[in-house]
Amino acid sequence: MRKHKSDLGILFATLALMALGLVVIYAIGPMRANVLNSTYGTSYDPNYFFIGQLRSVLLSLVAFFVAFKVIPYKYIQKFAKPMIIVAIGLSIMLWILAKSGSSLAKCELGECRWFNLGAVSFQPAEFLKLALVIYLADFFARKREANEIGKIKEFWLPLGLISILSLGLVVIAQGDLGTGVALISIILGTLLVSGVSTKQYLITLTVLLVGSVLAIATSTHRMERINAWIDTIQGAEVTDSTYHIENAMLAIGTGGFAGVGIGNSVQATGYLPESINDSVFAIMGETFGFVGLFLVVMVFGALLIRMLKVASHTAPPDQRFIVVGVFSWTLAQFAVNIMAMTGLIPVTGITLPLLSYGGTSMIFLAYALGLVLQISCYTSREEITDENISSRRRIGGSYHPSARRHS
Amino acid sequence: MAKVSSRITILKGITFVALAIITVRLFAIQIIEHDEWVAKANEQHTLLETITARRGEIYMMDGEEPVPVVLNQTAYQIVIDPAITDKESLKNTLETYAKDYISADLDKIYSIEGLRYYVVARNVPYRSAKQIAEKVENGELSSVWLKSSNQRVYPEGELGSTLLGFVNADGIGQYGVEGSLNKVLSGKDGMLKTISDVNNVALSIGSDNVKIPAEDGKNIVLSVDRGLERVVEDALAHHIDNTAATNAAALVMNPNTGEILAMTSLPGYDPADYGRVESAATYINQVTEVPYEPASICKNFAFSAAINEGKMTAETTYFNQGYEIVDGWKIMNAEQRESIYGAITMKTALYWSLNTGSIHALKLLGDSDSEITRVGRERLYDYYHNKFRLGQATGIELIEAEGYIEDPNEGWGRNSTYANMTFGQNLGITMLQTATAFSAVVNGGYWRTPTIVKGVLEKDGSINANWRRVARRPEGEESATGPAAYSEDIVEDHILSEETSATMRDMLVNNRNYKVRGGIDRPGYSIGGKSGTAQVIVNGAYDNTMSNLVGSYIGFISSGNELPEVVIMVKMWGEGAALSGGEAGDLFDTLSNDVIDYLKIKPVL
Repeated sequence: MRKHKSDLGILFATLALMALGLVVIYAIGPMRANVLNSTYGTSYDPNYFFIGQLRSVLLSLVAFFVAFKVIPYKYIQKFAKPMIIVAIGLSIMLWILAKSGSSLAKCELGECRWFNLGAVSFQPAEFLKLALVIYLADFFARKREANEIGKIKEFWLPLGLISILSLGLVVIAQGDLGTGVALISIILGTLLVSGVSTKQYLITLTVLLVGSVLAIATSTHRMERINAWIDTIQGAEVTDSTYHIENAMLAIGTGGFAGVGIGNSVQATGYLPESINDSVFAIMGETFGFVGLFLVVMVFGALLIRMLKVASHTAPPDQRFIVVGVFSWTLAQFAVNIMAMTGLIPVTGITLPLLSYGGTSMIFLAYALGLVLQISCYTSREEITDENISSRRRIGGSYHPSARRHS
Repeated sequence: MAKVSSRITILKGITFVALAIITVRLFAIQIIEHDEWVAKANEQHTLLETITARRGEIYMMDGEEPVPVVLNQTAYQIVIDPAITDKESLKNTLETYAKDYISADLDKIYSIEGLRYYVVARNVPYRSAKQIAEKVENGELSSVWLKSSNQRVYPEGELGSTLLGFVNADGIGQYGVEGSLNKVLSGKDGMLKTISDVNNVALSIGSDNVKIPAEDGKNIVLSVDRGLERVVEDALAHHIDNTAATNAAALVMNPNTGEILAMTSLPGYDPADYGRVESAATYINQVTEVPYEPASICKNFAFSAAINEGKMTAETTYFNQGYEIVDGWKIMNAEQRESIYGAITMKTALYWSLNTGSIHALKLLGDSDSEITRVGRERLYDYYHNKFRLGQATGIELIEAEGYIEDPNEGWGRNSTYANMTFGQNLGITMLQTATAFSAVVNGGYWRTPTIVKGVLEKDGSINANWRRVARRPEGEESATGPAAYSEDIVEDHILSEETSATMRDMLVNNRNYKVRGGIDRPGYSIGGKSGTAQVIVNGAYDNTMSNLVGSYIGFISSGNELPEVVIMVKMWGEGAALSGGEAGDLFDTLSNDVIDYLKIKPVL
């Protein structure tokens, strides 16, 4: 496929969201610092969070353009296996360090999700998301090539193993349900377009649903969140567990049509937990009102739809899987975060892509989007419609040139 | 079957559904439910905070200069978040810098699950608090906060404690001046209504913020002289130590103005540590809050009434047989020497404090020389209750008890009751009522509302005397600011003629002739006085064993033969102790000489 211009929609949506994130953190960062300082006696500079976010955005831009322009996808693809091994290895290492009480593992509220590297911290789960997207793309492409999609031993067994291992490490060892949801979304999204049969896909969905219900029902912590959510939507008295949802909705609700304006958020002054991280959408709702949130949602919508457009016009299956993987990742975080903030689903603790304060998550997603942007340079004019596994299987494994293009 | 494009269309569908759900939800929350959420937000964000007015300080006089006796000092509370504070480091710091102020068992606090806020030390002085604050700033301590509060300090220690009162933990004045002038001293709290952050720090966000500044309390200057108060308390303490008395009370007042120069009751207490008393009775100002029977001191009032009504003079004679039978009760004189049986003058009767003398004055008051009459009782009541205002609050700026004066006609045994009243039993009056009435007896006949407030200390150091009556402003009356216009409460009532007063002064000075002869009263002064020894009611009847007596003495000091400059009254008592008017007289002797020295009252030789 000839190289052409990248998808401008994805480029501008990504840059716009990063810029908006900076503006919001600039406005509420000082309040956050003030709340932490007066509550915990810390001494954060008023600009601490803005500078942190600026650093994250700059690093993310670097990652974005490196993925977009510098490293061709074919090199990345070569590292699909080593990357997933390293990613899983890092998570195992973190788990062991946390178990042994090492100071290299950074824990908050009992959950150990970060490596403590002195001045910076690193969240291996974020790397795992990227590695999983790349690995699954490669994996599905290879299985397609070998015509092994849907076969128990060749397909389901390795897919099941890698999925259970990743999810287990993230959800159980790190207690990070949010990332777990993102991983499941990545797996389900890419699996859907991998060419697996509808029947098998539905069975997978059922198994996953039952598994999720069991996982929730067996954890008092998760049940508490579910109950808190039910209490909130029923308008019960604010308790400690409903406080977060209640105050997120309070922030969004007070924003009204046009919002209270930048710097006038009251909920950011300590009422709303995680105001700069997971709850940044609620603060944006208070600040920019319905108009602002609608625009943000539309920008995300554009980003997601553009990614699907790129996917549907990308002929090489592995590249298409990459795009769908990144799409699923973004969609999961976007939808789950916002639905949690608006009381539609229980709070899970998931960042809003590109907007929430935080380094690792933004950098890896930026890299992933950069990769999508690179792939968007090689789309065909027509939608890819001839990729029918069943028909291919019926024909009997005809040679597919683009799948071998990079190998 | 599984076409790539159709599968991607499914994802597109999911995306659009998610976008639609989110948009509708946002519209519902932000547009439809907007007002509801704003109302909830206001409830959560609005901080209604009182701006605490600074409590006024209390001054006494030192000659012409006001000097502080109750001051404010900022003290600190230390609050911790036990869940996240560095427990060991906090414990060490507290024990190093504020050991005496720790108000909680730290180990116990630490062990309480889920506790996020606890006051662990109170009344921490500035210096200790500063050292702890520095540790917090350095990051050596976390989740520790210092909250400032006002605390009363007493540079004179226990001096005048029962007069001054104290301020309780809620910042409300209790007993004494702190209690009676609480409103003036507290001022008026202001109000702050504002949007606040989660730690209740006011934010500048929002448009309907309200700030009403606090009106600080007034600095009150008492008419009491600090040095004289000290002199009186020292004398009282000395006499408590050297007699059977466990308690003593005294007041010194200017009979011409009603100003109180000293007022105390001992034992007192440390107002800075007011909780450490055995009984709340210690807080009571015995001078104004406790009605009692001052006994023979009241003969002055009966005699004044009869003289003022023209019914008798100092030289009027009557027949003293040592006792008198009224309503079947035999009332004895305490003094039973041979020389005073038979016909004696009223002056002699007063000198020997004969009950038969004051009963005779009551008879004369009722236009009879043989029996107590209804007219006599009614006239005595008129003098006691309406003119001398006994059994009524005087109107001083302090907490007062009223006491009682029996009705002249209603009730059983009126004659014996009224006979008793002539020598100060069967009634209940406070020391202050007694001294104020006595002031009228000796000052030319003027009953004046006593006062203990000289005024309010203004910023320029002047004393604004318009504030003198501020305390009497009725409860609920708006604002304690602006000059008090309650002059109608200040009474000056000419109840006795100048002549009656002069006669009384003569007789009272005559009472102390032996003191002059004994060298106790110095030459150049006219010092008059009268003792009183009261039987105490035990189990509903006067205790005739005389084992439980309250001794009182009241007197005045004049320079030469001028109008009296000072009236002094003392009272001594003790549980199960017999204190006579004689012992109270000894205390008066000490005090009268001390007062002459302290006030530098000049002799006229």
